[in-house]
Amino acid sequence: MTDFLQKLHDTFIAGDRWTYLVDGLKNTLIITFFAVILGMVLGFIVAIIRSTHDKTGKLKILNLICRVYLTVIRGTPVVVQLLITYFVIFGSVRISKLLVAVLAFGLNSGAYVAEIVRSGIMSIDNGQFEAGSSLGLNYTKTMIFIIIPQAFKNVLPALANEFIVLLKETSVSGYIALPDLTKGGDIIRAATYEAFLPLFAVALIYLVMVMILTWLVSKLERRLAKNDRR
Amino acid sequence: MIDVKGLNKSFGELHILKDINESVEQGEKVVIIGPSGSGKSTFLRCLNLMERPTSGDIYVDGENITAMSEKEVNLVRQKMGMVFQHFNLFPHLTIRKNITLSPVKLKLMTQKQADEKADELLEKVGLSDKADAYPNQLSGGQKQRIAIARALAMNPEVMLFDEPTSALDPEMVGEVLNLMKQLADDGMTMIVVTHEMGFAKEVASRVMFMDDGRIIEQAPPQEFFANPKNQRAKDFLSKVL
Repeated sequence: MTDFLQKLHDTFIAGDRWTYLVDGLKNTLIITFFAVILGMVLGFIVAIIRSTHDKTGKLKILNLICRVYLTVIRGTPVVVQLLITYFVIFGSVRISKLLVAVLAFGLNSGAYVAEIVRSGIMSIDNGQFEAGSSLGLNYTKTMIFIIIPQAFKNVLPALANEFIVLLKETSVSGYIALPDLTKGGDIIRAATYEAFLPLFAVALIYLVMVMILTWLVSKLERRLAKNDRR
Repeated sequence: MIDVKGLNKSFGELHILKDINESVEQGEKVVIIGPSGSGKSTFLRCLNLMERPTSGDIYVDGENITAMSEKEVNLVRQKMGMVFQHFNLFPHLTIRKNITLSPVKLKLMTQKQADEKADELLEKVGLSDKADAYPNQLSGGQKQRIAIARALAMNPEVMLFDEPTSALDPEMVGEVLNLMKQLADDGMTMIVVTHEMGFAKEVASRVMFMDDGRIIEQAPPQEFFANPKNQRAKDFLSKVL
């Protein structure tokens, strides 16, 4: 037991190495938070363009752009996208690595969110559109007030899953030398020649974050489900 | 108030409506009957452009709605209430919100005015106690009465009913038909697609019989049911009466 405590001390306390984890966690959270927002906004826009095209045949060019975006993003690994964003797109400008990561992960997540939300919109009975337009509501208002709220509720579990995936995917930020949580643990491993403790600490922190996220989502789901009571 | 000229509707190769010319005056209660697949619902759904006609013109209050922009069509739809077979209530909203959503979002009423209107309508349809319930907590008959209230909240000039009782359990048909009778007595212009012959006899000012995409016979109900002239109408009535 004392051995273990000594080891803990040597790994994390000595040289204030725990700060690698805290700073890393902070970066991980910042990237995830803003990438989720970017992914949501982008995903909803793409989903609405795509389903509007599917339903009405309008927005042909925008739909084409969206399809190219989805194909490229879903067809290539996120690490490659991150590397390209950093070394190619922003290769010749000085730019915060955090910003690059937010952009890369947000753009990536947007593609997955888009398909999730689109499936949600397409799952809503056409009668809901008809009811909206029979009351004189135009397509946009019907979408905003009738379709999207129902679609959102239906796809919430899938969206939550996407965000959990995103949170964990940010662990590849180390590829552009961004000190996120995973990188922080790895720095401690390299410095102490002790792999078990720092890596398990990192794993534990991810696990706790995912569990908290899952709990929050199930709370939200229960609140949104109140109108399903029979 | 509604004039249909040379209306044709096809779905792909299927020619559903064949050159229909018809008009409906204010205050009329037109009941459309006929066998399944005869085009009754499609005809009704063309009147507020839920379905776009393949050819032909539809005039509402003298204006050709088939030539209108989407924006103008939405304005026309505001004065044409529609009730669907499957209710199509908004499941994520309370009953009150179902009724007030459209008038409020279209800025025809404030939320307060709309709420008052909703209370008034809920009393009319006998469901005042359900204002804060959600659609899934209601029976089929109650849902359809709410759907009617929702359409009435727009103060429509005409109400279109697309088989309003076909999805209901038999014991709930009566409550919906009674409400529709009440509406008819209030002088509402109504066009009703239904299989309820009793309702047609009692409420209709004119019965239209459709078969194979055409209106092949129409008459006041007493005359139509007592003495149908067309052979297909005779066959149909002998099966359903």
